[in-house]
Amino acid sequence: MSKLIEFVTNSRVWRSFFRHGWPDNPLDRSLVMTSNIFFHLHPVKASRKSLRWSYSFGLGIISAIVFGVLTITGLLLMFYYAPTVERAYGYIITLQTLVPFGQLLRNMHRWGAHLMVLVVVLHMVRVFYTGAYKPPREFNWVVGVVLLLLTLGASFTGYLLPWDQLAYWAITVGTSVAAYEPTMGSTVKAFLLGGPEVGQEALTRFYALHIMLIPMGIALITSLHIWRVRKDGGLAANAVEEGGSNE
Amino acid sequence: MSNAGKPQSFTKEKSRTKTYSLVELVKAPTTMADKGPDDTVFSFPVVALLELLLTLGVIAFLVIMSLGINAPLEEIANPNTTTDPAKAPWYFMGLQELLEHGHPTLMAVAMPTLMVLFVMAVPYIDNAREGAGVWFTSKRGKKVARNTAIYTIIVFPAYIFLDSTFPLREILRGQLPDFILQTVIPGILMAIIVLIPLVVVWRTKPTPRELVLTLFTVLFVGAIVFTLAGFLFRGPGFKLYWPWDMPGGYSPWDNL
Repeated sequence: MSKLIEFVTNSRVWRSFFRHGWPDNPLDRSLVMTSNIFFHLHPVKASRKSLRWSYSFGLGIISAIVFGVLTITGLLLMFYYAPTVERAYGYIITLQTLVPFGQLLRNMHRWGAHLMVLVVVLHMVRVFYTGAYKPPREFNWVVGVVLLLLTLGASFTGYLLPWDQLAYWAITVGTSVAAYEPTMGSTVKAFLLGGPEVGQEALTRFYALHIMLIPMGIALITSLHIWRVRKDGGLAANAVEEGGSNE
Repeated sequence: MSNAGKPQSFTKEKSRTKTYSLVELVKAPTTMADKGPDDTVFSFPVVALLELLLTLGVIAFLVIMSLGINAPLEEIANPNTTTDPAKAPWYFMGLQELLEHGHPTLMAVAMPTLMVLFVMAVPYIDNAREGAGVWFTSKRGKKVARNTAIYTIIVFPAYIFLDSTFPLREILRGQLPDFILQTVIPGILMAIIVLIPLVVVWRTKPTPRELVLTLFTVLFVGAIVFTLAGFLFRGPGFKLYWPWDMPGGYSPWDNL
């Protein structure tokens, strides 16, 4: 058995995938991080201070995890959905009654969406009260605010898709607020709805925004956000000396 | 390694002839002097395992919640039948609640725009490097945030209740121009409520950090108060009720 493992891990195919040995020593543990696309956003070593639960509550990572869950459940929901006024509602009924685990899938997407809004807001609040927006992290704070707005946009556009009374009137109320903005308001409303009221055009546009434009924006800007965290020296907790003051 | 002896003797020879001179004394910390041991852990496996656990925890939480509570689904959308109350998604209920207290352009456009602009400007107002990475930065910061939060929790619900029970804007309708009733008076009232804690803190010679702590806390706790008021305390006709005492079998939780 160990010979087989040795043969496999020494083969050219395996070594073309993994360019380091088993990570039980400092060198290979470093290489795991630097040579793996999923790990490379992490530093090779992390300070214990920045890992303290009571400092960050892991809220940023939880946001990313919930976004991942929403992407997967959302993709599966797309298999049983069509954004047309005649058929959307029927698809939701079918999903909930006939599709195996369909109701569970929809529940996870719905509660996950609420959870993401909540966690992203809490993450911003945590960053504010720990003063982690201070230089050199100013720009990343602004990027984070943009991500919060995108999260709200993702949740709001998804709200219409079931095409029930709750969805219809929530979006009617929500978009009518936009029209009160004196300069751009009516343009924004017209762009979102594609017509005078919530109808087929609005459903088409909300669908496109919800499954493509906004998630792509979130994915792209989240990459920028995490990359900037690294470039700006990791979590702000790292700047604090043992005594509690910094510098 | 085998010829380690050779370079060593070479270095010894060199060191006998090379001279050194002191160029300058610099007052700066040396790289590791007076510092504790490097308090870090390898990201693999420590951070990787923590993230895996967090992922499993989040998924478990969502699955258990989804097994217990079904996502709401009402009748098919009907543009001819209005629901009562018609509410936006919960995270916009703060805006919808604001709409009850003044002109939409002031309440639903100017206020949130100013709020987002302030939040984005925070690191440019408070740009001192000191105090980063510590909750509330200092004991004083903690006190400022706590007192401001208590003030906001009392004043904003009182404002919502009084403005809904004795709506000055309705009582004086026709006696003053609409612009003054709907925009000027509510705008001044809101500004006073938000600025009072700022003025109080200002008198104690605050740091920029304490100023943004005050303003952010008023706005954040205010947003929670308005969101909860709109989401939990508004029933049919968008009137104020206790959440457990809604008429007509309406439950605010059905709107999630």
